[in-house]
Amino acid sequence: MADAAIHGHEETPGFFKRWFMSTNHKDIGILYLIVAGIAGFISVAFTVYMRMELMQPGVQYMCMEGASLFASAVEDCTPNGHLWNVLITGHGILMMFFVFIPALFGGFGNYFMPLMIGAPDMAFPRLNNLSFWLYVTGVSLATLSLVAPGGNGQTGSGVGWVLYAPLSTLEGGISMDLAIFAVHVSGASSILGAINIITTFLNMRAPGMTLHKTPLFAWSIFVTAMLILLALPVLAGAITMLLTDRNFGTTFFDPAGGGDPVLYQHLLWFFGHPEVYIIILPGFGIISHVIATFSKKPVFGYLPMVYAMVAIGVLGFVVWAHHMYTVGMSLTQQSYFMLATMVIAVPTGVKIFSWIATMWGGSISFKTPMMFALGFLFMFTVGGVTGIVLSQAGVDRAYHDTYYVVAHFHYVMAIGAAFALFAGVYYWIGKMSGHQYPEWAGQLHFWLFFIGTNVTFFPQHFLGRQGMPRRYIDYPEQFEYWNVISSYGAYLSFASFVLFFGIVFYTILAGRRIEEPAYWGKEAETLEWTLPNPPPEHTFEKLPTPDMWDFHDHATFEDRAEDIEEAVEDAVKS
Amino acid sequence: MTTFGRNIESPADFFAVTDRDDDPLYEVTLWPYRSLSDKGFVTIILLVCLGFLVPITAFFGSPFFWGILPFMAAAVWGLWAAIQKTNKDATVRESLKLWPDLVAVYRKNPRSEDQYWYAHPQFVKVHLREDTKIEHYITLSGGNREIELGAFLTPEERLSLFEALDRAIYQAKSPVS
Repeated sequence: MADAAIHGHEETPGFFKRWFMSTNHKDIGILYLIVAGIAGFISVAFTVYMRMELMQPGVQYMCMEGASLFASAVEDCTPNGHLWNVLITGHGILMMFFVFIPALFGGFGNYFMPLMIGAPDMAFPRLNNLSFWLYVTGVSLATLSLVAPGGNGQTGSGVGWVLYAPLSTLEGGISMDLAIFAVHVSGASSILGAINIITTFLNMRAPGMTLHKTPLFAWSIFVTAMLILLALPVLAGAITMLLTDRNFGTTFFDPAGGGDPVLYQHLLWFFGHPEVYIIILPGFGIISHVIATFSKKPVFGYLPMVYAMVAIGVLGFVVWAHHMYTVGMSLTQQSYFMLATMVIAVPTGVKIFSWIATMWGGSISFKTPMMFALGFLFMFTVGGVTGIVLSQAGVDRAYHDTYYVVAHFHYVMAIGAAFALFAGVYYWIGKMSGHQYPEWAGQLHFWLFFIGTNVTFFPQHFLGRQGMPRRYIDYPEQFEYWNVISSYGAYLSFASFVLFFGIVFYTILAGRRIEEPAYWGKEAETLEWTLPNPPPEHTFEKLPTPDMWDFHDHATFEDRAEDIEEAVEDAVKS
Repeated sequence: MTTFGRNIESPADFFAVTDRDDDPLYEVTLWPYRSLSDKGFVTIILLVCLGFLVPITAFFGSPFFWGILPFMAAAVWGLWAAIQKTNKDATVRESLKLWPDLVAVYRKNPRSEDQYWYAHPQFVKVHLREDTKIEHYITLSGGNREIELGAFLTPEERLSLFEALDRAIYQAKSPVS
């Protein structure tokens, strides 16, 4: 047996040890959120610059004579299309691999999933540390690829985040290789993180917490981890072959050597479509908790919500080719992918209607997290509806590679995930920091962001319908009207993003101290709300017991009667 | 009877004193909790393998098969090894037996050598410590050592273990027993 006292009187780690050598799931979660925030800021800054360029027809900012923040006369500016392509690629790679997944899955997943299932930490704390630092390495490589020698005698790669062959195999310089390495390293980080999460979720739940009693956020993180585990190896294989095509003379994707570039698209989208759900599923979990908490009701249809997430995950793997209707597939293939894609609307609808049913008859409190949750519902539904439009192979012929698609995926996935992310930040920042944000500031952030993003992306539906193609630095002046409006929306969104950083800094440094563990009220009933704000370094050395979380199935009639009486008294008083 | 108060040189020493015919006054075996059953493990590995069949089936007989297979195999192996490791960690067992003239603890470690300890109950004290990060941390002192017991249990389990053990050792020390 171990000699005693090995666990006694451990010293609090210093700053460097705590934040640079951390194996604590909560600290690693915070680190993920910080790095994702920085990567997100860089990525969003790119888009503001792109919207500046798109505000007027003609090229004014991205000139071969030098990129500038001030507009040049069109006749003095030779358009630098490569720079434009690099910014698009950088924005896509950062957002798809280094912002949303690390923030929602790595950040909140790390911090709250073990807390919700009553585990003392992740199953493999050191592996968790490795995953985080691989992620940092990936971000660094991706950023480095922007400034490393690339194609067209300039820096950076401009092939798009999908890294399609033959563009990616022919792009000059080491920038492309660095970008591929970045995705590789990020993939390794995600797979290791996924294995850790799956093991923790399956094997370290508190006694009595069966799978059908596990909180929805924990479920969402588990399903996401499964998607990562199944999808990322395919991408890893594809980009490894890309790398050998570039550097070792293989011809996997080169028709001259018997290869097939369309096959790369299949492999990419076999990963790429589940990637959409990898990004949004943790958001589903957050939204479920937020809506239940602020509606003062348990979430409606817990089991259908769980199995809807599982169904979305499964279906996400069998619909990939709807991203490539125009590559020359047979009608039969297109029909299959069309129908399979539309089927996803069923479990998604189950979730949307369950969220609405949760609110139905509830005593809704419109605090900032709830506002962002409602914003998510709106954005996700609008994006989902345009998704059904785009799922039609015939209709997609007209919309393919237009701004309609840009509007669609930003609504459903990008901005949808951002709303879920902000809902999570405002919901849990008090728990994580021990300080509460000023409510007025949160509300201001919400309205600026909600208006800004809608003004940015809604007009892009019109631009798409007018036939404006995506991925171009310039456009005919017929498209100017909605582009001007879209750019103003982008500026407003960016301003709200800057405000968000200000709110977070203010909250951490000077926000009101909150002592009450369940500061949103007793309806916030997952295990993290039984802990102090912030939770101590080590949690659940004392494993939780069912009475701490199992409220619904075993609550006695008397318990419920007391709750109802209390609610009636509160209502009478107010 | 073997002299108490010295470290055990070999397992044989331990079993020489604990292999006896009389029933112990008190006996307990402790192990940690895991939520995944063996059936659950098989199910999850099968699900992952089935999931990988969707993309890999299309590439049977082509060079792409070999481009993708290693990554899939690594993912399956990684998950398998991770779950097995946590299960292996949970194979730790602590077995305590108490006789009127002997208290013996045998700990089966998952990866290192097994550990043994024994002492005379008259010289053994059970401590319930609250000054550590593990709530209700139980130690046994005696035989020139202080050992921990049930550090992997829940605090409630440790508390009930302490109460039972303390009572049993008290009875073992009492002359009427």
